[in-house]
Amino acid sequence: MSLLELTKISKHFGGVRALHEIDMSVHPGEVVALIGDNGAGKSTLVKIVSGVESPDTGEIRVRGESARLVSPKAAADAGIRTVFQDLSLCDNLDAVQNLFLGQERYGPIWTGRRIRRHVMEEQAQRILESLSVKLRSLSTPVVALSGGQRQGIAICRALISDPAVVILDEPTAALGVSQRGEVLDLIHRLRDQGRGVVVISHDMKDVRQVADRVVVLRLGTKVAEFRRGEYTPSDLVSAMTGAHEEGPVQ
Amino acid sequence: MSLTTTPTSAPPESPRSPVARFIDVAARGHRSIPVLVVLAIIWIVFYSQSPAYLSFRNITNLTLQIATTAILALGVVFVLLVGEIDLSSAVLSGVCAALAAGLAVNSGLPLGLAIVVAILAGMAITLIEALVITFGVPSLIVTLGGMVILQGLILVVLPPEFTVSVAGTPFAKIASTAIPAGTSYLLAAVATLAFAAYRLYQFRERLSTGTRTSPIAVLIPAVVAGVVLFGGVFILTRQRGLPMPVLIVAVMLLIAWYFTTQTRYGIHLYAVGGDREAAQRAGVPVRRMVLYSFLILGACAAVAGMIDASRQLGVSVTSGGGPLMLNAIAAAVVGGTSLFGGRGSIWSAILGALVIGSISNGVQLLGLTTEVQYFATGAVLIIAVAVDVVLTRGSLWPGRR
Repeated sequence: MSLLELTKISKHFGGVRALHEIDMSVHPGEVVALIGDNGAGKSTLVKIVSGVESPDTGEIRVRGESARLVSPKAAADAGIRTVFQDLSLCDNLDAVQNLFLGQERYGPIWTGRRIRRHVMEEQAQRILESLSVKLRSLSTPVVALSGGQRQGIAICRALISDPAVVILDEPTAALGVSQRGEVLDLIHRLRDQGRGVVVISHDMKDVRQVADRVVVLRLGTKVAEFRRGEYTPSDLVSAMTGAHEEGPVQ
Repeated sequence: MSLTTTPTSAPPESPRSPVARFIDVAARGHRSIPVLVVLAIIWIVFYSQSPAYLSFRNITNLTLQIATTAILALGVVFVLLVGEIDLSSAVLSGVCAALAAGLAVNSGLPLGLAIVVAILAGMAITLIEALVITFGVPSLIVTLGGMVILQGLILVVLPPEFTVSVAGTPFAKIASTAIPAGTSYLLAAVATLAFAAYRLYQFRERLSTGTRTSPIAVLIPAVVAGVVLFGGVFILTRQRGLPMPVLIVAVMLLIAWYFTTQTRYGIHLYAVGGDREAAQRAGVPVRRMVLYSFLILGACAAVAGMIDASRQLGVSVTSGGGPLMLNAIAAAVVGGTSLFGGRGSIWSAILGALVIGSISNGVQLLGLTTEVQYFATGAVLIIAVAVDVVLTRGSLWPGRR
């Protein structure tokens, strides 16, 4: 059974066709890469799956059950968590505060909703360890952390509610070589936890390294799907650019 | 910024060294350190010119002089923390004081009721401002316009002679009441013990989940709190007893400390100031947090205005005017609260007010001219913000991180 199943998803913005009858599935312990040129519809698809936008037509099934992802909260409740490219971390807060932002553990109202920091720290510790994210201190503002550590915290934040599917939007963009490696390791560990992982990327090296399956979008339609090892980099590029339809340029 | 070296992936039972823990705490509290240094320098300079500067009498005077600024600055800190600014609260304090004095003295309302009405009026006015701000008008403009409107409103609230004298009324007792030394020491003892007990409770909580902690986390804060409270009571009860405004400031700081550092409200407050969009996405009610900050400012302004009126024995058209607004904002910023939101603490209100008050008090004590006071206050403000810029940037020179 697939964790996430999209059937014939279409979306228009005014007269513009953003997505046309997209089919896609994500299975437990599988990394699916979603690639495509600018304007191919990757972001729109992510927004639909994360509950930011609603599709015009089509069906979304989560763990086999039909789901209406009308808001980010609805998507999260259904078990889909998205890590956006900008990470949405508050620089001035520390790792624990960021991990639990909006989902704090707090005491009764007569205590003024006192933060149960010890509970949060203990849980944060466990989640960070499960992905081997290493921080020197849980109480350092995240602005002082490296790009890889920040990405790690953003991903761990998605795991607080134990989602079935984690969507990562351009997780390695703007990272250095070693931090990029760290993040790719994180993706492997997410997969090994049995979650479904969707990675949006335009970095062919990343895609080849982590993806079990690659879904290629072009101008709002799904033009190709490859399994690991069944494609060459030029297959991806020609699918993304449509070169195989139009023939070689010149 | 100094960091501890214990990796979080180490097993929980490995205790963090007390030294590492201490550095961590010091690093987190670093924003208060520059202002404490500045304060020490100011005190040493004036003390070297006149030993009377650090006499018990003068320190007691100083605390009375800064009470109004400190309370207003406390409200301003809440507004700065969510990334907004306010220019109207000083005049608002005058309006609230005029209202309270008019009700208590001229209309014969019980003092307690007049105070409550004034606080509610202050909150109602900042609520209106905050609603316009969350509607989308910049807070600088809303509160600038609000300031001008309130300057008109104070003329409406004051009786035709434009002044209310509170001399000899219960209203005057707000500022002139002194709490006897015995009671003051008792209060200090209770507060210190309660704080230590709270820290101990947190320590045991953390032990119960195996989270890293150390008895130092109980001992050092408790000792610091005890020294500050007993030291303060010792110095300030030399004259007649602990001045009531000092107690009011202390209680307000205590409440503000609890809510900004120990509760969900505090995390959301800082989150909104740190990154409004990220906070929104995480489900933090951003608009509501901005409203709360302005409501707190309204209450603080009312309290500050009434204490000032009680100390000056009256309200007039100039109440809440003069340098009060700029002093309150400067106090918050000198104390380490960022103008750009999300950084700073409630302690910056009292520390910044102390710095600014210490300068003007010293200048007056030495009989220097007013321009010296202006020069010194302005220079300290700029230096404090420069230090803040360097700390935020993490480097002495621009263009690096």
